Amino acid sequence: MTEIRLDTLTKRYGTSTAVDGIDLTIGEGEFFSLLGPSGCGKSTTLRMIAGFVTPSAGRILLGDDDVTALPPEARDIGIVFQNYAIFPHMNVAANIAFGLKMRKVGKAEIDKRVREVLAQVGLEGYENRYSRELSGGEQQRVALARVLVTRPRILLLDEPLSALDKNMREEMKFWIKDLQKSLGITTVYVTHDQDEALTMSDRIGVMERSRLVQVGTPEEIYERPATLFVTGFIGHSNLIDVTARPETEGHCRVHFAGADFSARVRGALDKETPAQLAVRPENVIVDAETLPDGVVAFPAKVVSETYQGPIVRYRIDIQGTTITAERQNQAHRPRLAVGDAVLAGWDPARCETLLR
Amino acid sequence: MAAAMSKSDALVLDPARSIGRRPVRRPMPKLWLLVLPASLFFLIFFILPVASLLGMSFNKTIPGVLGFSSALTLDNYVRIFTRSLYFDAIFRSVGIGVLVSLVCLLLGYPLAYVIARTKVPARVTVLTILVLSSMQLDMVIRLYGLMVLLGDNGLINQMLLASGLVSAPLHLMYNTFGVVVGLVQVTLPFMIMSLIGVIRQIPPSFEEAARSLGASRAAAFRHVALPLSMPGILSGSLLVFAMSISSYVVPALMGGWKVLVLPIHVYQQIAEAGRWQFGAAIAAVLFLTSLLAVIVYDRAAAYIAGGRS
Ligand SMILES: Nc1ncnc2c1ncn2[C@@H]1O[C@H](COP(=O)(O)OP(=O)(O)O)[C@@H](O)[C@H]1O
Ligand SMILES: [Mg+2]
Repeated sequence: MTEIRLDTLTKRYGTSTAVDGIDLTIGEGEFFSLLGPSGCGKSTTLRMIAGFVTPSAGRILLGDDDVTALPPEARDIGIVFQNYAIFPHMNVAANIAFGLKMRKVGKAEIDKRVREVLAQVGLEGYENRYSRELSGGEQQRVALARVLVTRPRILLLDEPLSALDKNMREEMKFWIKDLQKSLGITTVYVTHDQDEALTMSDRIGVMERSRLVQVGTPEEIYERPATLFVTGFIGHSNLIDVTARPETEGHCRVHFAGADFSARVRGALDKETPAQLAVRPENVIVDAETLPDGVVAFPAKVVSETYQGPIVRYRIDIQGTTITAERQNQAHRPRLAVGDAVLAGWDPARCETLLR
Repeated sequence: MAAAMSKSDALVLDPARSIGRRPVRRPMPKLWLLVLPASLFFLIFFILPVASLLGMSFNKTIPGVLGFSSALTLDNYVRIFTRSLYFDAIFRSVGIGVLVSLVCLLLGYPLAYVIARTKVPARVTVLTILVLSSMQLDMVIRLYGLMVLLGDNGLINQMLLASGLVSAPLHLMYNTFGVVVGLVQVTLPFMIMSLIGVIRQIPPSFEEAARSLGASRAAAFRHVALPLSMPGILSGSLLVFAMSISSYVVPALMGGWKVLVLPIHVYQQIAEAGRWQFGAAIAAVLFLTSLLAVIVYDRAAAYIAGGRS
C-alpha cells in the first residue's frame, strides 16, 4: 500500500509540452484513472511514473521515496501494457518467473509463487503455454500475474482493455476492479474510455491537452463537470446558450427563454455575461401535461423521436433552441408523438453553468 | 465473364479452400504464366551453367579443354582434399567468412538497434541512407578508396608515421586483415538491413516490461532483445557468410593474391591455367560449403523457433 505523489510533473519534447505541471496525490489502495482523449499526455504521465520517460521538471514520490531519478528496475512498480508484452520466447511459467529471477529468488520459492499467482488469476495448468496460444483475455491475466507475483508497490495499467473485444472488455473490467480491491494495491489506470473510468475508478483525473483539468469521484466528474471540455468528454450534454448574472457564491442567476432560475457555477462572475447551461439528456424532463415541482418548465414541441430500446430519445424545440431529452421506455408512460405540444424542463439543481 | 473470372480466382487463392478437403477444381494457368519468365531465365542463365560446370568437375583435367565428356572421375576432388594448398583454402575461406560475420554483427547490431528504435522518421531516413549509401558506388571503386586508406603509404600509415606512434608502416592490406576489412565494408549494409527488419518487429514494450520487472538494461537485452533478434542475427550472418566466402574481387584486390581463398583458386585454375575441370571442382566445393552453412542456419533457426512453439 503506497501513496503516489506527483509534484508539478512536466515533460517537454522540444518545443511541445506532453505533460504540463501535474500535481496529484493518489491515496493508498486507490484505483485512480487518468482519462482523456488520445494525445493528451496520459501515457507519458504513466511512463514517467514507471521510469521509462525522464521528467523535464517535477518529482515523483512513492510513499516517502523520491523515485524521480531511479531507473525503472529500481522502482518496484508493476506495469501492464496495451499489448500485454508477454515474452514470446518464454512460456507462461517463465514469463511469470522473470521478475522473481531478476530478484534472485530461489527456484523452489519461484515455483510456489508462480503456482499461487496462476491460481489467483484463474489460469491453473497454463504453465507451458506460449503467448500465441493464449486469447487476449488470457494474455491480459498472464501480464497481470507476471506483475503481481513480484508484489510491486503500485500497479500501472495503460489502456489494458483496448485490445479486447467488447464482451471480454466488459468481463475484464469487473475482474480487474475486483482483483485490485482484494489486493488493495494503489493503481493508476490510463484510458480514453469514459465507461471504463466511470465503472472502475475510485477517482478520475481528466486530462486535456497535457493538463489535468479535473479530479474527482466518478459521480463528481459526471454530475459536476468543471469545464466545457469535461462536459463534452464525459457523457452527452445539452449546451444551452443562456445569460448568467451574479448571485451567491457558487450560484448564478440564469436567464433562458423568459425564465429566471438559480443554477450552480464554478468561479465567480461580476457582471451579466453570456454562458452555457449544461443539461444531461436524462435530466431533461418532458411530459404532455405537467412537470414535477422544482422543475423550470417551458412550453415546447417534439421535433423527432428515436427509439433505442430501453430509452427513447426526443429532440425538443424550446423557442428556437433544440435540445435532446431521454426518457425511460416504460409501459405506464405513453410515448410522445412528433409535432406534439409538450412541457419540457429540468431541475436547476442538476445543471451546471459554464462560463467561457 | 468478369464475374466468373474473379470467382475462380477467389476459389484458388483462398488457402483455406485449397488446403481443405475439397479439391481445387480448376488449376490456375494465369499464375504459372507469371512465374514463367523468371523461371526460364533462372534455368537458362543460372541452373544450366552451374550444372554443366558441376558436371565438368567430374572429368579429367585437361588444360585448355572446355566441355563435358562422359568419362567420369573423382580425381579433381581427391586432389583438393589431399593437397594442403587447396584443403587449407577451404578452412581459410570458412574462417574468413565466420570472422567477417562476427565483425559485421558486432559493428552492425548497435547501429541497427538505434535505427530500428528511432521514432523520428526523418532521422530513420538519414541513417538508412547513410547505411545504403556505401552501396551506391561500385564495389571496385569503394575498394580502391579503401586501398588509399590502408596502403603502406596510405592515409592511416602517413598519420601513424607522422605522429611517431610507429617507426615503420603497418601492413594493413595484401593480407587477411585487408581482406576482412574489405569484406566487412562490402557486407555490413546487408547485415544491418537484416537486423533492422527483425529488431523493428520487437515491440519496445517487451524490453520495458523486462525493465520494470527488475531487469537492468543489460539483462533486458540479454533475456529479451537478444533472443528475439536471433532470426535477424542468423539470416544476416548467413547472408554475410555466403557473400564473403564466394567473393573473388575483395580477396583479389585487398589480399593482393596472397590470401588464397577458394574463389582465388577457381580464378587461377580457370582463367590463368585454363584448367576448367579442376577449377569447377573447387567451385563445387565452395558451393557445398555455402550449402552446409544454409543447413546449419536452418537447424539453428528451427531450434530457436522450436523453443517458441
Ligand atoms: N517520444 C516522444 N517524442 C516526441 N513527442 C512525443 C513522444 N512521446 C509522446 N509524444 C507526444 O506527447 C503527447 C502525449 O502523448 P501520450 O502521452 O502518448 O498521449 P496519450 O497516451 O494520452 O494518448 C502527444 O502529442 C505525443 O505526440
Ligand atoms: Mg496512450
